[in-house]
Amino acid sequence: MTDIAATSSAEPGFTWTGRILGVTRRSPTFAIGFLIVVIFAFVAVFANVISPFGAIETFSSKVLFPPGPEFWFGSDGNGMDVFSRVMHGARFAFGIAVPSAIIMLVIGVPLGLIAGYKGGMIDEVVLRTMDVVRSFPSIVLALAVVAATGQSLVNVVLVIGFLDAPIFTRLVRSEVLALRSSGFVDSAVAAGNPTWRILFVHLLPNAIRGSTAMIAVRMAWAVRISATLAFIGVGIQAPTPEWGAMIRQGAEFIISGEWWVALFPGLALVGIVLGFNLLGDGLQDLLDPRRKATGK
Amino acid sequence: MSLLEVSNLHTHFISHDLNNNLRIAKGLNGVTFEVDKGEVVGIVGETGAGKSLTAMSIMGLLQPPARVVEGSVRFDGNEILGLSAEELNRIRGTELTMIVQSPLTSLDPLSRVGKQLVRAQREHRDISKEDAWAAGVETMTTVGIPDPERRMRAWPHELSGGMAQRVLIALALINGPRMIIADEPTTGLDVTVQAQILDLLQGLVRDRDMGAMIITHDLGVVAHYCTRICVMFAGSIIETGPVRQIFNDPRHPYTQALISSTPKRIAEKGYGQIGGPPPNLYALPAGCHYRDRCNRAADLCHTAPPLEDVGGGQFARCHFAATPDSAAATVQNG
Amino acid sequence: MADPILKVRDLVKHFPGSQSGETIHAVNGVSFDLMPGETVGLVGESGSGKSTIGRCVLRLYKPTAGRIEFGGRDITTINEREMRPLRKEIQIVFQDPYSALNPRMKVGNLIGELVKLHTDLDAPARRDTVAALAERVHLNADLLTRFPNELSGGQLQRVCIARALATNPKVIVLDEPTSSLDLSVRAGILELLGELQRETGVSMLFISHDLETVELVSHRILVLYLGSVVEDGPSKEVFAKPSHPYSQALLSADLPPDPDVKLDRKILEGEVPGPVHLPPGCPFAPRCPLVRPDCTAAKPGATAIGENHHAACVRVADGTNDIRNADAAADGDMHKKFQDQFIGRTS
Repeated sequence: MTDIAATSSAEPGFTWTGRILGVTRRSPTFAIGFLIVVIFAFVAVFANVISPFGAIETFSSKVLFPPGPEFWFGSDGNGMDVFSRVMHGARFAFGIAVPSAIIMLVIGVPLGLIAGYKGGMIDEVVLRTMDVVRSFPSIVLALAVVAATGQSLVNVVLVIGFLDAPIFTRLVRSEVLALRSSGFVDSAVAAGNPTWRILFVHLLPNAIRGSTAMIAVRMAWAVRISATLAFIGVGIQAPTPEWGAMIRQGAEFIISGEWWVALFPGLALVGIVLGFNLLGDGLQDLLDPRRKATGK
Repeated sequence: MSLLEVSNLHTHFISHDLNNNLRIAKGLNGVTFEVDKGEVVGIVGETGAGKSLTAMSIMGLLQPPARVVEGSVRFDGNEILGLSAEELNRIRGTELTMIVQSPLTSLDPLSRVGKQLVRAQREHRDISKEDAWAAGVETMTTVGIPDPERRMRAWPHELSGGMAQRVLIALALINGPRMIIADEPTTGLDVTVQAQILDLLQGLVRDRDMGAMIITHDLGVVAHYCTRICVMFAGSIIETGPVRQIFNDPRHPYTQALISSTPKRIAEKGYGQIGGPPPNLYALPAGCHYRDRCNRAADLCHTAPPLEDVGGGQFARCHFAATPDSAAATVQNG
Repeated sequence: MADPILKVRDLVKHFPGSQSGETIHAVNGVSFDLMPGETVGLVGESGSGKSTIGRCVLRLYKPTAGRIEFGGRDITTINEREMRPLRKEIQIVFQDPYSALNPRMKVGNLIGELVKLHTDLDAPARRDTVAALAERVHLNADLLTRFPNELSGGQLQRVCIARALATNPKVIVLDEPTSSLDLSVRAGILELLGELQRETGVSMLFISHDLETVELVSHRILVLYLGSVVEDGPSKEVFAKPSHPYSQALLSADLPPDPDVKLDRKILEGEVPGPVHLPPGCPFAPRCPLVRPDCTAAKPGATAIGENHHAACVRVADGTNDIRNADAAADGDMHKKFQDQFIGRTS
């Protein structure tokens, strides 16, 4: 690794096209993942406006029609348009992925910061607690929570957020440890910073960098697991147009040859999970510190 | 014909930034020098001047986006730039070897020292493990490691800084090279250990009639261990010549600034020239690359200065090299 | 005679080692005074404890034993909350400016942070103070809106000095402030520090392994070896005529950047042993070319050589402390006894 002298001026020539091409060149994975996620997000936001029919609009005389000009993805066992339902399902996907991610971060990051900064007994306690949480099988815990508190989407989101928080605790903690050993923290202490400023003004923005890629990946996971739960009948109930629930419904019809009821929600699920995963991988490429020309 | 002849070497870093603009950093801009048997050539310069880049370009160790775009490197009369990795490996590690900075990160942490010494030999020639082991012990003794038999079984992390550096030297020597390139061989080592390592290197060069190239930013090392010096700035050699001459009568303004910024000279003459910001390799000024920082810059400096022969084997890349120097003046801060 | 601004007595700092039961004896009984307006240089190689001393004085570490008095106040055991208001009086400049500064904050805000933390000035007043500080350290004002990684090492170190000055401290600790900078830039930083000391009368604790630099900037120096002071005195005196065998060896190993200077080196064998297993008595005994039996009996006390000049060596008293006479004076058997035990030992 050779060094290039520190250059100061802002990079020449910013244009939107240039930026898009430059990012795609640096990480095609990111570009594709980003595109997929943006399309799904667009659909989620505008589903009400752009879907041909309502999410639970029933046509009792047009049950189980195959895909055709009227129902692009066919109709399901209740005579509802699969295409419209798939579109509305995107809202649920984001509605689960985003709040779960927020909860994971809100729980996991501060714990990681404090454990890394304080060290000693606090660090031990936090780590061991996180180990315990990580050892729960998610599905079992979700079932237990739902059994105790009743079927609800909110509960599912909370469980997922809680279960994945330890991942961020570990990531953030190791970034904090690295920063501590580089003299960064000593410098902040010597300047007279109170602890809260050290944690939130100095450590947090730098420690969370390494987690951004992981956030996308955990969002993919959140969507998958909520779909799994819905598939086994936990958390979300018909006729809610959530993809997992739709697949559950459609499963009955596969044997009798009405493949479209389960397939299209399944494809949508695979699509968004793939999109988030690619986005996460791509972010890793882009944020790789070795890529940046620093002044050293 | 010298052992190593580098001519007009240009190495660029070619990449696209996030806005898809083509960015080219010109790391080396026409580096030319020679190293002969029995010579120790010192390469000095600031960060980004291209010292390590030169060594990596010679050894064929450049990683993308760095690339040699022009020039030639001849070892023992044969062109080695552009050789395949396989062909290069016949010379690298045997005839032409390199020691790098931070020895603790350069040794394989998962193999014992002895195994690494044996491997280094068996990769290049047919030799039994026993013979290679014996040669390893002998080389360890040559580099001054006490109790070599036992140390052969040590893990790299068990070695102290100076010991690890000696092991790196042993690895470089074990196949009997004709030339050794040492990139900052003593940086990070204690002063008392530096002296030991440098004496060792000097002794080996003398006893084995090798050529050596020492890359360093420490003028003390150059003053006492090198026969010739090449001063680099912004990817070119801006002054070269016998050590004594360069220290006593530097002709290029940058070299003058460098020599006058050592604490002893500051104590004598006060703070004179002060360094400036490093050159922007993405946008080097046309003509003389040093003109933005130079206190003698004139209109003429917009044209590339030739290498002026100042006599006695000393050359300086400055339009005004031949005219005697006047007192130094302050320039912008660094 | 004015009072010292900083008084350190018998400072000891030990750390737990990586293996259980091991202790790293970083600092083992160091004492010195720092007077107002003075620069004291701490010189030593790896394992000397010089950086640890700097950090103890700033209370980034809590001393294991000993006393630190700052401005007459005992700060040895106070907690962080009590120390915080004192931090505006005693500041530090670290070796590597890139890792000491928050890379996501603009340089102007980094300097302003010190002002914000220790004064009640409002935003416009702070901005003026920052601009004034930048000018004082000869830092171009348009660099204030840049981020640390856009500045060169020399420029960034000036930012760190500006931060250290922002609160008008009485003491600044400088831990290898020029070691990671290019040669041509070092002189500028040293000149700046000299200027600032003349202007403000700030005291400096200058920690470095670079002998020439320390000689240039310090009034007094302390030579450290394995956590103990082996020699202390006026910098010119110690450099001209070092008394302790280690000081002599250290100075003789220095390579002056002048090919015409003849080297007269006393090359020591081996390396500094690790700080886990300290040799008995004098810490330098295992490598000392002048070692004799009473060196290991007890740690030598400081013998006075001149006014305010001491060396911790038993041979000073009878004048046999010149290592150029090593072969005549030394006890060869003692040396061999130590060879395997301590020379070149790692960890």
